[in-house]
Amino acid sequence: MRNVQLLDDLDEVETEPAPRRRGFRFPFRLFGLALVLVLVGGGLFFLRGPVSEDSPAADNRALTDTDATTKAIGDVSNALTRVFTYGPDDTATAERAATESLTGHAAADYQRLFGQVKQQVVAQRLTLKTHVVRAGLISLNGGRAQLLVFLDQVATRASKALGTPAAAQLSVTAELKDGLWRITEIKAR
Amino acid sequence: MTAAVAETRSARRQQGTASRWLRWAGWVALLASAAFIAWSSWSLWQAWQGSDDAAFAKDRDLVLRTGEQQVAVLNTMDWTRADAGLRQWANVATGPLHDQLQREAPASRQKIVQARRTAVATVDDAAVLSLDTRSGTAQLIATVQIRLTPQGGQTTVQRQRFEAGLSRTPKGWRLKSLTAIPVSVG
Repeated sequence: MRNVQLLDDLDEVETEPAPRRRGFRFPFRLFGLALVLVLVGGGLFFLRGPVSEDSPAADNRALTDTDATTKAIGDVSNALTRVFTYGPDDTATAERAATESLTGHAAADYQRLFGQVKQQVVAQRLTLKTHVVRAGLISLNGGRAQLLVFLDQVATRASKALGTPAAAQLSVTAELKDGLWRITEIKAR
Repeated sequence: MTAAVAETRSARRQQGTASRWLRWAGWVALLASAAFIAWSSWSLWQAWQGSDDAAFAKDRDLVLRTGEQQVAVLNTMDWTRADAGLRQWANVATGPLHDQLQREAPASRQKIVQARRTAVATVDDAAVLSLDTRSGTAQLIATVQIRLTPQGGQTTVQRQRFEAGLSRTPKGWRLKSLTAIPVSVG
């Protein structure tokens, strides 16, 4: 009697749908796939290994970062043109440019020299015109840049040429402050 | 329903809950690993970009070093060893500049020997203006100091500024042009 009961129960249990039995294996397939992805992802790191990106040369972003290179050269060229162009009727533009674009030693030197020159500029009606002939960026590391600039300068006294046009080669150091490259050192070569 | 059936059903329900949690964990694991692979792919791409930049930077530095040396060579000459000097000049040049030096070598030799003057050049500063690694061309500027010593005389110092064009040859970067930049009038 009991065996028959058990048999009936077994029937009941067995005829029930057992989706959960199949579903029990499914998550392990997910884990398996996840493991494969992790292994592949980890493998990508080994591909990264031989790829060398750390080098002192790469720290210098001159020419590598084209936008920053153009900006540094542009800012410094503008600065040099403006601070070294003045006349008896306008020394204020040059001084204003100096305040904006010169800092550190360059600013101190300029203040000292221009202070001496300013009186003569008005008294003798001196003019100086400067323009940049060539400018190159040597190094760009973070907010510091080193440049080489070739200038042509023409000086006149009371509208008469003062000597011949002069060539100047300047090694310039600049730093980036508030979105503008400012000259900290000028060395004439 | 007998106890046996009820027990099995309860066991199955527990299995069902466990399996639901497992399924959920499975999806989480899959999503996490997908995110990991996305991140490591992006990281690898970044590294490749960085290494491209590093290669370009190395080329840039090589062009600067080579260009500087070669500009100095072309402004250096010992009149007592004119032939050796002219050979050195030819060695650092390529293309039109090389042809010009070869063509003018006999006349240059005469001028050098007659001048009886030694020139020693040093580059005070130089900068690469442009570099195209694909076509192997570059432009460079340099400011040069030339110490001239006439035979038995005093040394004078001359300053010159140059623009040079470089070309990558199988033997390395060579000067294909060298121009002194004059002062523009007005």
